[in-house]
Amino acid sequence: MQDQSREIKERLKEPDPKEEEPLSTVLQEDERLSAEVLPTSEEGEGPKMNEEVVLHDMDGDQNKRDQSSSLVDHQNVQQEVVALLKCLNMDGSTQKTNCSEQNKSQTEVFDVSLEENLQVPNTERKNPSEPASAVTECWDDFTFSAGDLAVDREKNSNSQSRLKSGQQLVQQTGWHFPVGPGLTQEMFCPQWTSVDFTVMSYNILAQDLLEENQQLYAHCPPEVLQWNYRCSLLLSEIEKWAPDILCLQEVQENHYHEHLYPVLSQMGYTCVYQRRTGTKTDGCAACYRSAVFTEAGVSKLEFFRPETGLLDRHNVGIVLLLRPLVTRGAEVKEAGPPLCVANTHLLFNPRRGDIKLAQLAIMLAEINAMIKSCKVRGEHCNVVFCGDFNSIPYTPLYQLLTTGELYYQGIPKWMVSGQEDLSYKPSYHRLFAPLWPSSLGISDTCQYTEINTSKTNRQKSGHHEFMLQLRFCPAACVRPQKLILISGVTDITPGCAHMFKDYLMHQVDLESVYEHVLPGSGSPELTTLHSEGGATVDYIFYSPKRTSTKNQMGLKLLGYLSLLSEDLLWSMNGLPNHIFPSDHLSLVARFQMELDN
Amino acid sequence: MNNKFDALKDDDSGEDQASPKDSEKEKPEEDDKDQNIVKKKMVVPGPGEHPLQYNYTFWYSRRTPGRPASTQSYEQNIKQIGSFASVEQFWRFYSHMIRPGDLTGHSDFHLFKEGIKPMWEDDANKMGGKWIIRLRKGLASRCWENLILAMLGEQFMVGEEICGAVVSVRFQEDIISIWNKTASDQSTTARIRDTLRRVLNLPPNTIMEYKTHTDSIKYSMGRLPWTGEC
Repeated sequence: MQDQSREIKERLKEPDPKEEEPLSTVLQEDERLSAEVLPTSEEGEGPKMNEEVVLHDMDGDQNKRDQSSSLVDHQNVQQEVVALLKCLNMDGSTQKTNCSEQNKSQTEVFDVSLEENLQVPNTERKNPSEPASAVTECWDDFTFSAGDLAVDREKNSNSQSRLKSGQQLVQQTGWHFPVGPGLTQEMFCPQWTSVDFTVMSYNILAQDLLEENQQLYAHCPPEVLQWNYRCSLLLSEIEKWAPDILCLQEVQENHYHEHLYPVLSQMGYTCVYQRRTGTKTDGCAACYRSAVFTEAGVSKLEFFRPETGLLDRHNVGIVLLLRPLVTRGAEVKEAGPPLCVANTHLLFNPRRGDIKLAQLAIMLAEINAMIKSCKVRGEHCNVVFCGDFNSIPYTPLYQLLTTGELYYQGIPKWMVSGQEDLSYKPSYHRLFAPLWPSSLGISDTCQYTEINTSKTNRQKSGHHEFMLQLRFCPAACVRPQKLILISGVTDITPGCAHMFKDYLMHQVDLESVYEHVLPGSGSPELTTLHSEGGATVDYIFYSPKRTSTKNQMGLKLLGYLSLLSEDLLWSMNGLPNHIFPSDHLSLVARFQMELDN
Repeated sequence: MNNKFDALKDDDSGEDQASPKDSEKEKPEEDDKDQNIVKKKMVVPGPGEHPLQYNYTFWYSRRTPGRPASTQSYEQNIKQIGSFASVEQFWRFYSHMIRPGDLTGHSDFHLFKEGIKPMWEDDANKMGGKWIIRLRKGLASRCWENLILAMLGEQFMVGEEICGAVVSVRFQEDIISIWNKTASDQSTTARIRDTLRRVLNLPPNTIMEYKTHTDSIKYSMGRLPWTGEC
């Protein structure tokens, strides 16, 4: 048994975030585990397939929650092994429960402030004899019949148990289901004060786009497509979750000015709006609660750069630099560290991954510039990057965001975002270096190349690096007109296509709040759904607290609002509907940020 | 297909890729025989390109095999390859030229500020000298690239002192050198030496030698009139 637990600890190092399991299922499993009899724990039954799963699952915990390791360490080894064996006993994917969680829950301190918003039923958790369904959060704002769901498509479907519990429970939330690892975490930070804040990212579906694409909403009763109806649902959803930072996409300009801005400013938000260039009438809005943050910088970005040839699409983004406000006595003061908030809506066109990547690079360059501007003042800048990226999880674009690098040479352009599988097409365009011309002023490390003609700046020693970045720019691959031909000397073909640096990088440490599969059932999370299908294309990325970095750097994820499965959404007649006003769901996450002393 | 770049591309990428404008702004050069007359017309950076602090010119020289060196003049053997004013234009030339490590025979690349000829006699050079580094075979390409990037990027920080750089490919070794205007200015020559060590990342035991051009002229009397590199 001792050996086994050692093995667990060793494997803890191996990251596998995909296997992470948010709290809700954990809770259910806790209850179930406690209620069940575990006959085989004494038999020394050898680990089987499930063991892998369990261990990886714990890995996930370890990575995300920096306290996990200490918790594990504090645990009684015996207890841990028993827990492991319990897990081994379970069957099916939902049963791959976090053993560590089970023990943790005994000693946890809860963030009480969250409970109102995110509604984790503490009392139920403490009573292990309650049936699992009672712990599951409520879902009772809409009626449905369990028969509508037909059969559970997946074994252990989470949605069904949720729905059941929704029927049984009187408790009311109305919105999708809250889960979050952070809710169960201890907080030991006596030497630092901290601030908690909530971020919402929401593609609210511009009315003009809705009307242009009516075929996508043919399944909807007409009244849910009316702007007035949608607008009031939207505003009450915002009011409900009371985000401190609100990133909206597809905000139609007239609706923003006439309906949204007046209410939002009354609710205490300061708003920045950037309409798309071109003829489309919508844009992005980034709002923050003026009582919580103050603005230290604002960049509105237009991705339309006709001079580059490539960037001929009218998408936009906003990057804000905010500072938390703290009250000390009667005084409200700006505090550090700063928070960079970015919001964008990337190009939709599933075939043009090349443009999406270039648009993303502009966002990353601006975020990076904000971070740098803080760095020169000796400050660490945390990042929250929200938006509709029009790319599904684990695609090349997503990979660039979350891992910081992408080898793209030869990748079909449609594959960048993965919205549609176009591999059946006889020919499709591929990515080749360089993705964009140097005249864009952005390097393949997604940073601004310093464009300046001032002689003093040219003398910086970083210039060498800068020159290398332009090595395979398109201009460098064209033979100079007047270059004399000397055999064996000036007859070299640059072979740019294969000599190009064929990867992109960026320096912003980003992790997705959402894990893209629903806890328990493992079915995909949907952030958008219309008659042609559903997917995750919206994200909240954030710069996480890493155990390796200094204590006050990075954001701690406290919790997030659950997304829903396709089955469930169709059981509500798809999107938009009488509860959700858009063809996207809102993403809501709550973070904790350590403040400078 | 309205410019050269388009013509070079895969047809696959035509719809999607950027088509940078041909930023070639150089004045057409005169006939070969006039190559060594430095053009009065300066090159300029193309639109959107990143200008260098100075314009530079690439030169190439090679001793014709099989003929006695004494019968060949420097002027006959050196060819002007082209001038550039921006980082992009530099790479255009550089990426179409062979790496010095792959050169055969007794040959040299010279990269000098536009208007300065790679000759001791040039006004900019006649009071000057050079740092010389002898390299064992196999190192020249990397060292040369680092040297010229440092020069173009103004990393030597000696004002207007730098004239140009040379890489010389020889039988058993390669030689790189950097030329400056004032051989007698010791603070300048010391600073150049220190920068060289840093940017070339030389092994600590590398021997660096400073030689004035007047000495070079003196020692080369009666020998090759132009093999000034050592």
